[in-house]
Amino acid sequence: MKVRKALVTAANPRQRSLPLQMLIDPQGESKSALQIILEEAAGAGVEEFCVIVCPGDETAYAGACGALRGRVRFIAQRDPCGYGHAVLCGREFIGDEAFLHLVGDHLHVAHGATSCARQLIDVAAAEDAPVSAVQPTHESLLTAYGTVGGRLVGGDRPLYQIETVLEKPTPTVAEQLLLVPGLRAGFYLCFFGMHVLPAEVFDLLEEQRAAASGQPLGLSSALHALAARRRYLAFSIAGRRYDIGAPYGLLFAQLALTLAGRDRDHVLTQLVELLATRPG
Amino acid sequence: MSVRVTDIIEATAPAVRDLAIERWCADRPAAELLAACAELEAYRRREANLYKRVRALFFLAAIHRYHLPARSGFPRTGRVPYDGFSRMLERRFEEAISGFLRAQAAQGANETLSSALAAAYHALGFQTLADQVRHTVRSTRGNAWMFRLGHPLDQPLRVRPELLRNNDGAPQPVLRERTPVRMDLTHCGWSDIFFLGMDFPEGARVLNVSIDLGLHGRDPEPRPPVEAYFRVIDEPLIRLASVDLEATAEVRELDEVFDFGRDYLGLLKAAIIAAGLVPPGIERSGAKLAGLLGVIFGPGRGFELVSNVNRIPKGSRLAVSTTLLGALIGTCMRATGQIRSLAGPMAEAERRMVAARAILGEWLGGSGGGWQDSGGLWPGIKLIEGVAAQPGDVEHGLSRGCLLPRHTLLGPDRVPAAARARLQESLVLVHGGLAQNVGPILEMVTEKYLLRGEAEWTARRRAVTTLDEILGQLAAGEVRALGRSLTANFFGPLRTIIPWVSNLYTERLIERTRAAFGDDFWGFWMLGGMSGGGMGFIFAPARRREGQERLQEIMLTAKRELQAALPFAMDPVVYDFAINEHGSTAALLAGADALLPAGYYQLTVPRCLRQEARHLTPRERADLQQFTQAARSRPEFAAVMPSLLDRMLPSATAAPEAGRLDELLAENGFDRAQHEQIRADLRNGRIGLAMNRLPPSTRIEDVPADALFDAAAASQEFRRQGEAALRAGEVAVVTYAAGVGSRWTQGAGVVKGLHPFATFGGAHRNFIEVHLAKTRRTARAFGGEIPHVFTTSYLTHTPIERFLRETAGDALDRTVWLSPGRSIGLRLVPTVRDLHFAWEETAQQKLDEQQEKMRESVRTALAAWARNAGEGSDYTDNLPGQCLHPVGHWFEIPNLLKNGVLARLLAARPGLRTLLVHNIDTLGATADPALLGWFRAAGATLGWEVMAKRVEDHGGGLARIDGRVRLVEGLALPREEDEFALTWYSTNTCWVDIDRLLTLFGLSRGDLANPEKTATAVRTLAARMPTYVTLKDVKKRWGHGQEDVYPVAQFEKLWGDMTALAECANVFAAVPRARGQQLKDQAQLDIWQRDGSAAYIETLGDWKQT
Repeated sequence: MKVRKALVTAANPRQRSLPLQMLIDPQGESKSALQIILEEAAGAGVEEFCVIVCPGDETAYAGACGALRGRVRFIAQRDPCGYGHAVLCGREFIGDEAFLHLVGDHLHVAHGATSCARQLIDVAAAEDAPVSAVQPTHESLLTAYGTVGGRLVGGDRPLYQIETVLEKPTPTVAEQLLLVPGLRAGFYLCFFGMHVLPAEVFDLLEEQRAAASGQPLGLSSALHALAARRRYLAFSIAGRRYDIGAPYGLLFAQLALTLAGRDRDHVLTQLVELLATRPG
Repeated sequence: MSVRVTDIIEATAPAVRDLAIERWCADRPAAELLAACAELEAYRRREANLYKRVRALFFLAAIHRYHLPARSGFPRTGRVPYDGFSRMLERRFEEAISGFLRAQAAQGANETLSSALAAAYHALGFQTLADQVRHTVRSTRGNAWMFRLGHPLDQPLRVRPELLRNNDGAPQPVLRERTPVRMDLTHCGWSDIFFLGMDFPEGARVLNVSIDLGLHGRDPEPRPPVEAYFRVIDEPLIRLASVDLEATAEVRELDEVFDFGRDYLGLLKAAIIAAGLVPPGIERSGAKLAGLLGVIFGPGRGFELVSNVNRIPKGSRLAVSTTLLGALIGTCMRATGQIRSLAGPMAEAERRMVAARAILGEWLGGSGGGWQDSGGLWPGIKLIEGVAAQPGDVEHGLSRGCLLPRHTLLGPDRVPAAARARLQESLVLVHGGLAQNVGPILEMVTEKYLLRGEAEWTARRRAVTTLDEILGQLAAGEVRALGRSLTANFFGPLRTIIPWVSNLYTERLIERTRAAFGDDFWGFWMLGGMSGGGMGFIFAPARRREGQERLQEIMLTAKRELQAALPFAMDPVVYDFAINEHGSTAALLAGADALLPAGYYQLTVPRCLRQEARHLTPRERADLQQFTQAARSRPEFAAVMPSLLDRMLPSATAAPEAGRLDELLAENGFDRAQHEQIRADLRNGRIGLAMNRLPPSTRIEDVPADALFDAAAASQEFRRQGEAALRAGEVAVVTYAAGVGSRWTQGAGVVKGLHPFATFGGAHRNFIEVHLAKTRRTARAFGGEIPHVFTTSYLTHTPIERFLRETAGDALDRTVWLSPGRSIGLRLVPTVRDLHFAWEETAQQKLDEQQEKMRESVRTALAAWARNAGEGSDYTDNLPGQCLHPVGHWFEIPNLLKNGVLARLLAARPGLRTLLVHNIDTLGATADPALLGWFRAAGATLGWEVMAKRVEDHGGGLARIDGRVRLVEGLALPREEDEFALTWYSTNTCWVDIDRLLTLFGLSRGDLANPEKTATAVRTLAARMPTYVTLKDVKKRWGHGQEDVYPVAQFEKLWGDMTALAECANVFAAVPRARGQQLKDQAQLDIWQRDGSAAYIETLGDWKQT
């Protein structure tokens, strides 16, 4: 499974400025969140990018792409008809290929040298199957994420065959449908904001749109349908996601980026000093 | 038979596995039974499988309870170690059993220790089963997360945005859940008990129908009787309201949510916890409720939960409380997205989850129901069946079945619309008005199932096939045949498994309905645990309407005839019903429709109106506006308006009751001066529970057997003398019938003597009939007549007199006499000091964890009640009869002197010399010639019968107190453990030599004609007798069959203390248990029947005349 294209959704009207937020990357360079996302994908071998935006945001976003500007196409989602609909807007750009899907309000920091996107694309290529990146997440946070249920198939690798996908489940439902053997009690596999998906997902989204006309279109139910149709995997990435739209999300993302880079000691020293002067 | 006792438990072949333990024990001597006990004890300690362990425990309990005591030569007396007993009260049954077994090794096996072992094994069996259900409930997927959550920030639930008000000034949206109740169309032998379904899933099957309900003649049409309402409020607290219980509360602290006994809103609190809004894991975390609510609803917000039951009385056997719990949980789960939809029915998986949460809620609230009780969540008619546990189920490996059953909806393809219509056209549902505790019944069913009693096991298998029979008849619309099957089920399997499901009232209703309708009465059907409450009568469709009207009359007439004898909570009612084809359904009410039930406003509006407008909160202001608007356009809200004024003005309805109490006191010779002295003494601490006790320095010793007369070894000479006395008409029997059996009906205030508790000679008999039948038989055996006197009190005299006039006819005042009480007391609000003494200083049964929490909470509320009502003040806040109390059985014999009955008896029968005096519930007491001969030969004033103690015999016994052999009350013993050093228990049966007793009073036969002299003599002796303060539980009934129980203080003097008088010559005889045992609690009935006691009583009576 070759992945050449990436689709980034950034059309949530309530979070349209998030990808434009400036951060300092591990190398100490000031970049927009969008640029960091695109560069992660580019580093994993992606050649072309499409960003779904709110109408009128194209110019501002274009200015935030950095050196990749020339490889990025912007598509406006005219009406806010849901996350799934935003993905569907990229259908023409993607064509019949498998693609990397990222969300514009998440940054990812790998534990090691291999980036999160690279890890995911490698698994998809090796398994020749769509794969969603997941992260074991405490049940108290379930209502913020799409969550998958399934079984371990990767032996010593944290690779799971997905059987169920539910969007923002309550723990009541999660305990019944989404328990995954091998995880700590109270933890579930929640989406990481990063997927390698086949173009088939657009057909599924179209079907769902037709079935529930007028309703906001989500992505999770299409992914649930995908799991019923073909081998669809989840991979627990060696890394962490940071939702920059959550309270203090940007701060934590910045800390994570910095502590993984060259200014680690400097920032740690500042933090310790801060703690020492404001102990309470 | 060569099988070992443990083979029965281990076997897979039904022939061995279903072998009844009584059959296995039948011909084995005591030594073999004791060896079997040792084998079972070792087996149950090493066995990991829960149900095998439990079955071994019940086998052990049965051998010790029934089989060892039945072996001749098995030692009767022994001592129960106090340590073991106190461990048992603390529910530390394993330690108790170890202690009792050590005592058995030291003393040798005996009946006393076997009684203790039986009780401990029995209780451990149920504890093990209950723990397993709880464990399974906690582990059930979908429930477990709530037990992990310990901090508000971990709360994952969020309110659905649709429930939040837009900022447009519109009223807060209201989420409403309406749920039908369920009826069990088969009554499949209580097979919905969790324990049964988890061990015998293939036998756990019921046909469960969701129904709407209305009271016939009151409600225009049936509707789902249970409603729950939920809305977000702009205050960081939880508001609770129960419209039917007329109670509201504001909960501001986390711990209050877990305080179930604090008010009447425990069910609502359990629902909030079980729905995960305030999850069980967060209890005692120290978290702030406002913080937790803020996470779910947003800062500064909380919610309001309102329950409304369409005035369906308690005890309807329609699972109203479980249904309400389900509705409340359902609405809370919808509000937080745990159920997907905010309107319409639930999905199948969601219903199952709500049902599981309802089980959790019932456990939290300390109550319990069957697994079919949430059936109202499902629509229409469904088959509910036990499910075998499979790998992956939490129950797998622990029990054969799963906790939750499978529901199969029976749609029109299985039960056509015409058949449903036919059922509705024939069936009349009623509430007979009886309120009875079905808890013991469910325990009996479980135990009998595990023991596989032969008759009961055959009946159970028959009941299982009955379901298929009924299902076929229902599907075919053959309602007449259905009626026949249901009637056969009630009088066949159900009554075989539990004889106590039927009663005189129910059978009278059936008989009279049959007489009135002949062949058009098609059948009877019992709903729920036992009959007398919810019941069904099936008629030919053409006469159903007439059936509704006539049944109302028949029930009311029968209730009036029996209301003194049976615990009626209310007048009987007839329902209208309709099958509900939707199940539990929700609606989101917005705008002008965003209304809570009309009764809610009836409850809350008066309080708002009493305030000045400027003090009203925005919510109260909005509620008033909504209500006013609704009252203009909606009849049910307009109808509430007049009653608002009634509620705002003080009521004058209490005055007539108060007047009646004064009359009763005056009529019954209430001594106001003595009462004030007692009140002063009580308040000053001169008398009280602690002061009942003898000084700690008192020397208390056991009495050896050789100091007593052994009734079993009575000589022929004694017998001959006794027979001669009986033939000469020298004996009369006196039965104490002044009491209302506080324990017998948990304070319901019925006349115990008139309670038709069992069948003898083929008919239901009450205690009085049993005693008369025995006396009749004795009299016939020896020729001549034996007068029988029943002592009465203000509570019992009129009903007993009416009963005897109807049944004894002209024998009343000739051979049957009544001795009306001449002493009465007025109950007092207890002191907090006495309440604490009763709760903390006396040994009490510890309950399981949740029930213990409930009890603590109730006790705090009761102490507050005592303080607020005024410690030591008159208890008058109840029916007059419940405010008075008899003053103890010491007064019963002196009353015979004071009221002239003894004088008249002696005038009619000058040869009378001896009285046999006994309690109403000592069924084995007879004018036995051998004991009579012994007493006469002894030349004593009083002759007392005692029996070897068992663990359940509390309240004192025979002891040598500072050197004198006498009876001592348990409440007079300085230390709890003193009682456990005593071998003999008082039966309270006493032989009285009339002339010697009169001498003791300083009287002669001739003096009995002089009331003043007699009264003075009685008063003089009474002053020498100790006065005991006791606490009695009294029920207060209110609302629609609801009851509260209050502990109230009263005083009493007891006849057994006559043995302490130096000038009173006493002799004591040891009698067999069958003669001396008393029936204090209805839960004893089953044991009493199974251990042969009932059969023994049958042989004592002449049943032909009654």
